[in-house]
Amino acid sequence: MEERSILKIESLSKHFGALKAADNVSFRVKKGEIVGLIGPNGAGKTTIANLVTGALTKTDGKVIFKDIDISNLKPYQIARKGLTRTFQVVKPLVGMTVEENILVGSLYGKLGRNTDIKNASQRAKEIIKLVGLDKKKGFLVSDITLPDLKKMEFARVLAMEPEVVFLDEVMAGLNPTEVDEASRLVKKVRNEKDLTIVYIEHIMKAVMGISDRIIVLHHGKKIVQGTPQEVANDPAVIEAYLGKRYAKEVKNEEAISTPG
Amino acid sequence: MLINALLIGGLYALMGAGFSLQWGISGIINLSYGAMVILGSYISLAMFDFLNIDPFISILISAAILFFLGAAIYRGLLQPLIKGGIIITLILTFAVRLILENIMLVVWSADYRTIRLSYAGYSFQIGNAYVPLIRFLTFIIAIAVIYAVYRFMMGTKIGKGIQAVALDREGAEAVGIDVEKMYLINFALGSAIAGGAGALWASIYSFSPHLVGIIVGKVFIIAILGGLGNIWGAAAGGLVLGIAETTGVIFLGSEWQEAIGMAIMVVVLVWRPYGLLGRKFFG
Amino acid sequence: MVILIFLPKFIHGYGIRILTAIFMYAVIAQGINLMSGYMGYLPFGNAMFFGIGAYITAIMMGKGITFLLAMFLGGIVSILVSTLFGLPVLRLRGHYFAIATIGLSGALLSIVQNTTEITGGAMGTTLPIIDAPPKVTYSYFYWGMLVLMVVVTLVISYIMKTKFGYGVRSIKANEEAADSMGINTTQHKVLTWAISAFFTSLAGSIYAYWMSFIAPDEVFNVMIAVNAIVILLIGGMGTILGPIIGAFIIELLSEVTWSSFLEYHLAVMGIATIIIVFFMPKGVVGTFSEIRKSGEIKRRKKVTI
Repeated sequence: MEERSILKIESLSKHFGALKAADNVSFRVKKGEIVGLIGPNGAGKTTIANLVTGALTKTDGKVIFKDIDISNLKPYQIARKGLTRTFQVVKPLVGMTVEENILVGSLYGKLGRNTDIKNASQRAKEIIKLVGLDKKKGFLVSDITLPDLKKMEFARVLAMEPEVVFLDEVMAGLNPTEVDEASRLVKKVRNEKDLTIVYIEHIMKAVMGISDRIIVLHHGKKIVQGTPQEVANDPAVIEAYLGKRYAKEVKNEEAISTPG
Repeated sequence: MLINALLIGGLYALMGAGFSLQWGISGIINLSYGAMVILGSYISLAMFDFLNIDPFISILISAAILFFLGAAIYRGLLQPLIKGGIIITLILTFAVRLILENIMLVVWSADYRTIRLSYAGYSFQIGNAYVPLIRFLTFIIAIAVIYAVYRFMMGTKIGKGIQAVALDREGAEAVGIDVEKMYLINFALGSAIAGGAGALWASIYSFSPHLVGIIVGKVFIIAILGGLGNIWGAAAGGLVLGIAETTGVIFLGSEWQEAIGMAIMVVVLVWRPYGLLGRKFFG
Repeated sequence: MVILIFLPKFIHGYGIRILTAIFMYAVIAQGINLMSGYMGYLPFGNAMFFGIGAYITAIMMGKGITFLLAMFLGGIVSILVSTLFGLPVLRLRGHYFAIATIGLSGALLSIVQNTTEITGGAMGTTLPIIDAPPKVTYSYFYWGMLVLMVVVTLVISYIMKTKFGYGVRSIKANEEAADSMGINTTQHKVLTWAISAFFTSLAGSIYAYWMSFIAPDEVFNVMIAVNAIVILLIGGMGTILGPIIGAFIIELLSEVTWSSFLEYHLAVMGIATIIIVFFMPKGVVGTFSEIRKSGEIKRRKKVTI
C-alpha cells in the first residue's frame, strides 16, 4: 500500500563523534496526515527536525520531499519548497511587531506565489485572524506572552503556505488550558489548509489526541510506529517512555468501550 | 635577530593579554586601551622624574592607578550601558580614549619622551647574540606577570569566579556569584595590565599620545590571533606579531608591517574564528 | 526641511565647506546605517570603499577619463570588492565581522601605500583642478555631495519598504529565523554591503576631486568609519534621518570646539559623545520616534482592552 508519501526519510543519521543523535531513522509521511514524533528527552526528535529542514547537516541518509531529494539543500531553499518548522524555543523577529513577523513569512516562504507587499499583507492579515491574534497584531514581539509568541510563530509558518510543517514542541511552557486551545487550533488549521504536520511533542495528551499515526524514537533510533492505540500498548514504548500509568489508562478505556 | 623578536613579543604578549581579557570575558572592545598603556608610560615617567623610582618598580604603581581608573570607567560608564551592545561600548571606550588622550596631550605635550635609565647600555651574551639587559628584564617581567595572572585566574576564588562568568553567565549567577563584580574586576585587571605594560614600554621605547591608536591596532591583532579571553593565546599572539614585525621589517620593509599584521588577522578570522589556540580559556 | 538646504548658496566659502563635509559624512554614515542599523552587521572597515572611490577616481582621471565616469568606475570596483570580501567575511558573527573589515581595510591601505608606481604610494596623489573660480567650484562639490546625500537617503528609504528591506531587517532581528523562513540571507547580506560600498565609494570620489590631493592614510583611515559610527549613534541607528541629523550635530560640535577650545577639542568631543549616548541611547531621531511609538501603543492597548 504505497500511497503518495509527501515526505520520505530514509536511513537518516547524524553522528557527533561517537554520539549517535540520530541513528538510521526511516519513516514516511502521507499527505494530509498528522504524524506524531515522540520519545523521551534526548531521543533525537529535534535532531530529526533540524536534519530534515537543513539546519543540521546529515552524516548519512536521504530526505525526499515531493519526490525531490532535498538532503543537501540549505534551510532557506527547503523552506521555499514548502517544508517548514517552528522552533522549540521561539525565535521571534525581535524589534518588529506581530504583524510584521507574519508578513515576513508571507513575503518569503514558498516560492511561486504572488509576493508583492499588498498581497502578502492581505494574506498575513487573514492568517492573523485565523489564529486569533488580531487584537495583538500591532504589538512588538517583546511585549506579548509566551502562548501568543507560539501562536505567532505558528502563524508565521502558515503565512509561508507550506505543505509540510514540523511543529517542534509547540506546547512547551503552556498550561493545560492553553494546550487544549493550541491542539484545537492545530487541528482546525490542518483541516482548513490541507497541511501535513509532523508533530514533535513531549506532552502525551496533546499528541495522542490529534495524531493519525505515531512514531517513537529512543536513543536516536526509531523503535515503534503505529496508531496512538498501538503505540500506547506497545511494550517497548511503555518501557522506554510512557510509563505504566498511562498505558494502564488506555487499556482500561479499551476494556470499557469494547463490548462483552 | 630572533632574540629581539622574542623580547618584543613578550611585551606585546602582556599588552595583548589585558585587552584580550577585557574583550573575551566582558565582550567589551576597549578602544581606550592604547591610551591606558601610554598613561601607564607617563605615570612611570613621572615617578622616575620626580621620585627617582625605577620603571621596573613603578610598574606596580602604574598598574595600581590604572586598576582603579579602569574600575571607575567600567562602573561609571560601561556597566550601565552594556546592554546597548558592541556599538555603544565601542563608542564609549572611544570617547574615553579621546578624553585620556587629550589629558595626556595637555599635561605632557605631544613630544616623544623616554626614560633614560643609567643601566640602559648594558647587555650580555647568550651564544653569539647580544641581549640588551633592559629588554631582557622587560621580557622576564612580562612573562612573569602573564603567569601570575594565569595563576590568579586558576587558583583564586575571584579568578575562578571570573572564569565561571565567562563560560556560563546564568550558571554562575545561579550559584551565587556576583556577576557584575566579576566583570568589574576583570575589566580593572585588564586596565592594570595595560598600565603595567606601559611602564615596561617606557623603559625601552619612546612614547607619546600619538601611539595610542597604533597600540590598539596591535593588541587587536594579538587578541584575535590568540583567541579572545585566552591569556596564553595572547602570549602566543604577541610572539607571532613580534616575529612577524621584525622579520617583515627585514625582508619587506617597514611599510609592509601593517599589511602583514592585517593579513594574518583576516586569514585567522576566516579560517579559525576562535583564534589559533581555540576557544578554551587558559591553556 | 529639505528645501532649506537648497537655499543657502549664499553663504561664503567656509560655510559651504562645512556643509559639504556634513553631507559627505551623512552619506558615509548612511552606508554604515544600512549595514548596521538595519541589518545588524557593523562594517568598521567601510572606509576602504571611500578610499577605493578616491583612488580609482584619481588614477582614472590621471589617464584622462572624465570625473563622472571615473566616479562610476570606482563604484563598480567597490561593488566587486565588497562582494569578493563579503562572501567569506559576512559569515562571521558580530564582533568578528567588524574586526575582519578593519583588517581588510588595513590591508588595502598597505597595498595602496606600497604600489607606488600606480598610486603614488604613501606620499599621495593629485587630481586635476577645475578651471573656474573657487567659489564656483566649491558650489559644485556642495551640490554634488548634497545630491548624493539625498539620493542615498531616498534609496535606503525605498529599499526598506520593499520585500528585500523586510528580509534585511529580519536578518538583524533573528538571522536563524530568517533562514528558516526562506530568506537567502547570504544574498541579502552581500547585496546590502554592495549598496553600502557603492555609495561610500561615490562619496570618496567626490572628496578626492574636491580636495585635489589624497593620501592613503587619509582616505583609508579607520577614523572615517569611527566618526561615521559616532554620527550614527547620535543621530539614531536604523532611522532614515538619523545619519543626516547626526552629521549636522557632530560636525557643528566639532567646528565649535575646534575654534574655541582647540586644546580640549578631543576631550570635549569625547564628553559630548558620552553625554548623548547616556541620555539618548537611541540617538536623537530614535528617541523621538520611540516617544511617538510608545504613545501609539499605549493608545492601542487602551482601545483593545
